[in-house]
Amino acid sequence: MKHSKNESFEEIYRQHHPMVLQMGLGFVKGDKDTANDLSQEIFISVWNNLDKFRGASSYKTWIYRITVNTCLQYVKKDKKVRTLSPLELEHQTAIIDTEKTSHDDISELYKAIGQLKKIDRLIIMMVLENQDYDSISEVIGINPINVRVKIHRIKKRLETILKNNKNE
Amino acid sequence: MSSEFKNLQSHWETNKKSMEVSTPNFDSLYKKIKSKEKETYFFYYGTITILLVTLIVISLFFYYVAPVKDILSRIGAGLMILGLAFRIIIEIISIRKAKQIDLLDTTLKTAENSINFHRFRKNIHQVIAPIVIVLYTIGFYMITPEFSLYMPFWNIVLIDISYVVIGIVLFIVIRKGVLKEMQILTDIVKLKNEITE
Repeated sequence: MKHSKNESFEEIYRQHHPMVLQMGLGFVKGDKDTANDLSQEIFISVWNNLDKFRGASSYKTWIYRITVNTCLQYVKKDKKVRTLSPLELEHQTAIIDTEKTSHDDISELYKAIGQLKKIDRLIIMMVLENQDYDSISEVIGINPINVRVKIHRIKKRLETILKNNKNE
Repeated sequence: MSSEFKNLQSHWETNKKSMEVSTPNFDSLYKKIKSKEKETYFFYYGTITILLVTLIVISLFFYYVAPVKDILSRIGAGLMILGLAFRIIIEIISIRKAKQIDLLDTTLKTAENSINFHRFRKNIHQVIAPIVIVLYTIGFYMITPEFSLYMPFWNIVLIDISYVVIGIVLFIVIRKGVLKEMQILTDIVKLKNEITE
């Protein structure tokens, strides 16, 4: 039984770790150490709740709920989440990125996402993950119409932030 | 905006692919899970264990070591024991409320459950803990007259002074707890408003 739990967990980990880590990075404004800590916390929660998965929602929705709730609780527990200086951010992103990835773009994006409200950061990252309104609504707990309105507002805010950051 | 956003999505996706780990270190993760389980267990049952041990020690003390005879002292001892028992019951309710915060719920539901939990914790620090301390203090001073018959005067003075010092420390700890809970509550209420706005 334990063996099969380990197998399921490792499978989920392999499949979703990049998404969880990337959402963590976006949430903590690109701080790699904090994002790693956060992703560990998320997978500890996944392990603790693995037996409760009943298949009522997809694994992905299930993981998103754990990810979003853990991110918000993580900040609640630890107020010391720090913002990186542009230099640190550039350095850390360079470590993460492969040669193919334009790290300027992604670090700009992390920086811009980090300037949004906490819940808005998580919603926009789910949009970047190609999640539809219904899935996001299932995670957040508000109706899909409100989700659509919210996303529209967040996209506009993100666009303004990106423009302002470019002009700086 | 739409094409710009598609562009952001494409950067996001490309960067995510670069994060794939070929051989994750599961051993270290399982160790972390074990240590977290212990931490959680202590978080839930640490305070109860300390309070329960204190309750047992005090009960045994009054039963075997210093069985008080005066009615005033007996009421005092009863108040001290009752205060502690009441605090233990409140702690059990608090654990039940903490367990209602389920990460598998929606964000909105989790925020609501967190608000309930922290409101309850705030009431514990602000109302219940002081009541328990007052009960305990009244009980303590009710037994001192009988104790003073069997103990040297200076010992009683020393016990009384140390009790005041402990009282001041407890006041500081409780104040810190209230402030912390109020800050957390403000943050979660703000989050809930942001979700529903």
